[in-house]
Amino acid sequence: MTEPTRRTSELAALSHELRNALACIHQFGNILIDGLAGELSGEQREYIGIMLENASKIRRVLDSALDGAPEPIEKCLNKIERASGRET
Amino acid sequence: MASRKILIVDDNADIRLGMHLRLKANQYETFFAADAFSGVAEARKQRPDLIILDLGLPAGDGFTVMERLRQIPFLAVIPVIVVSARDGLGNQKRAYEAGAKAFLQKPVNDAELLAVIRQALGEPAGTNKPTLQGQGSV
Repeated sequence: MTEPTRRTSELAALSHELRNALACIHQFGNILIDGLAGELSGEQREYIGIMLENASKIRRVLDSALDGAPEPIEKCLNKIERASGRET
Repeated sequence: MASRKILIVDDNADIRLGMHLRLKANQYETFFAADAFSGVAEARKQRPDLIILDLGLPAGDGFTVMERLRQIPFLAVIPVIVVSARDGLGNQKRAYEAGAKAFLQKPVNDAELLAVIRQALGEPAGTNKPTLQGQGSV
């Protein structure tokens, strides 16, 4: 396997793992916020909303920096770092 | 009207549980499989109205499942919605070629998933179900 191919494969695996974890965060966050596991207080809903919004930020970083990007991991990590910096 | 039956094929137990809770709240009956082999076996047994299929599975993959389903006439007509964490570039095209009705990339928006399910099942878009969507900010 060539080096670029290996890196692309590693990125795809990384993206896959992150997307599955994010999917769970979104699924269960929305289940809670919709009251499927019982009613929440306004404050509880607000906090889960913050959690979901931040999970969405991670997803946006993932969409822009990782998927389909046949470039070195260092470049992608720099992008993520820059994107994270802008979000804060 | 009787609940429509949906088979969820995904090797991630948390994803299966989350989808089950969301679909159950929308009056769908759910069944599960955690690998490609069981996915086909469960489809034979339950004869679901729709299948939600992950691509990365043990004992084959989602494409293997779709290939097997297409070989069995009474299963070939079941609509399949692919919900995968794999990249959407090559996999989406391949999934449609394999017969999928839709390709959604994880994490999915609940409202979008439910809309696609309803469309695939031929249900009216405005079906009034109590928990159509979550925050929808995926």
